[in-house]
Amino acid sequence: MTSVRYLFPSLVLLAAFLAIWEGYVALTDVSSLVLPAPSDVLNGLWVERYVIARHTLATLGVALVGFSLSVIFAFVVSILLHFSGWLRRGMMPLLVASQTVPIVALAPLMVLWFGFGLLPKVLLVILVTFFPMVVSLTSGYASLPRAFRDQLVSMGATRWVIFRRAALPSARAQFFSGLRISATYAIVATIFAEYAGARRGLGIYILAAKNNFRADLVLSAVFVSACLTLVLLTVIKGIKRMTRRRYRRENNA
Amino acid sequence: MLEVRGLTIRTGAETLVEDLSLSLAEGSLTCLIGPSGCGKSSVVKWLAGVLAPELQAKGDALIDGSTAIFPHRDIAYQPQQDTLFPWLTAAENACLGLEIGGMERRAARDRVDALFPTFGLEGHEESFPDQLSGGMRQRAAFLRTIVQDARVLLLDEPFSALDAVTRLCMQDWLVARLAERPRAVLMVTHDLYEATQMADRVLVMAGGPGRIIADIPISTPSAERSETALAEIRSSLKLMLLKEIP
Ligand SMILES: Nc1ncnc2c1ncn2[C@@H]1O[C@H](COP(=O)(O)OP(=O)(O)OP(=O)(O)O)[C@@H](O)[C@H]1O
Ligand SMILES: [Mg+2]
Repeated sequence: MTSVRYLFPSLVLLAAFLAIWEGYVALTDVSSLVLPAPSDVLNGLWVERYVIARHTLATLGVALVGFSLSVIFAFVVSILLHFSGWLRRGMMPLLVASQTVPIVALAPLMVLWFGFGLLPKVLLVILVTFFPMVVSLTSGYASLPRAFRDQLVSMGATRWVIFRRAALPSARAQFFSGLRISATYAIVATIFAEYAGARRGLGIYILAAKNNFRADLVLSAVFVSACLTLVLLTVIKGIKRMTRRRYRRENNA
Repeated sequence: MLEVRGLTIRTGAETLVEDLSLSLAEGSLTCLIGPSGCGKSSVVKWLAGVLAPELQAKGDALIDGSTAIFPHRDIAYQPQQDTLFPWLTAAENACLGLEIGGMERRAARDRVDALFPTFGLEGHEESFPDQLSGGMRQRAAFLRTIVQDARVLLLDEPFSALDAVTRLCMQDWLVARLAERPRAVLMVTHDLYEATQMADRVLVMAGGPGRIIADIPISTPSAERSETALAEIRSSLKLMLLKEIP
């Protein structure tokens, strides 16, 4: 119930927006080739549901593989950066620079270099999602209070023990905020990669629909991709809650 | 048992502590008292092996006559700030020192559990620090320090976060806990009432640069430490401290 109350204002605004859109299309008889009404979009989605579902699964698969690898990669890199000041100083500027490269330019190059398979898409997803996680992890590790560190050092803890028992747990909240930011990019990045060249996926579907002047289907696919991102965010929220130690204790007790 | 000779701590430019010597005897509680910023924590941190890397320290330390390197197994340190880890339960927090010292998790837990009643924490083994009251948190911190069974305890202003009444109760309580086995305790405080109530010996420190200006034994047995019995020593300590404040 609380989540309904929480979402209520957004739902009202969304409904108002859709109603105005629907009304505008009905009153002005703008061509549905240019601006399909929300009802046209829903209708397109229904008619094409099997095709769209197939492409959605392809997109979801790539996004999940890329995103999972990205999380692992982010942990590995953040740990390396944490333990080596030299690497941190050397790599941070390069990582920041990597974020200034527009994916629009990069996606076709990836396809050129690595073909139409899984690899270029996964690489693109990693490239886009990895940075916010590395940044949030490293700043999470650094947020460990000095006195906590001192406490462990006085007990004879090694650097690794300090990392595992204190720095890593204290990065938890920041990690999850980085993860959320990355997750919002994951689906979009996959679609971008598919747009540049793929056999299946929402990106290639959107491209084909556009070339056939089917604005309604373009919007159907956009709608589906937005839903995918929301689902991903909800799953992450659930994981965050369920991996909380207190939650686990209270539910196992 | 623990002896420090000629400890000097400096930043690049200024000297924080100069040529300080002290010794702690087994079975004694020594209070280190002095105005804020005179370098009390710095001395204790040096003994705990956690002095900030930007500070340079020079001096010798001996444990039972042989040169000691810090952090040392025989020394347990409780920092001035609350360092109970919020993501661990009270019992897990208490096990931390034992586990890092190499004890197996199960054995550490048994040892800690046995102490929970004495520390007034029975039934709170699975509570997280933010579910405990200030006094309980402080007792959990003491438990974590004392259970390590180190021969030397360094307590940096352990009562500073407590309200006045809890503080009074905890002072006698801590003296009782510490007396359960012989150890050498160095407790930092800036409260001369606390120092004279608890200690067998008070070291008075002055700032700029930090040094010890008086070493006062208190031989009155704890049971007889009333306001009147301690009045004289307290007023002389007060004068001494007031003179040091610029
Ligand atoms: N890392 C550091 N770099 C530079 N100066 C420092 C550093 N740590 C402490 N100091 C200085 O050393 C002096 C002594 O600090 P310290 O924390 O030892 O004082 P204290 O006696 O424990 O004070 P308090 O009673 O407030 O806890 C202070 O003037 C402080 O500014
Ligand atoms: Mg201090």
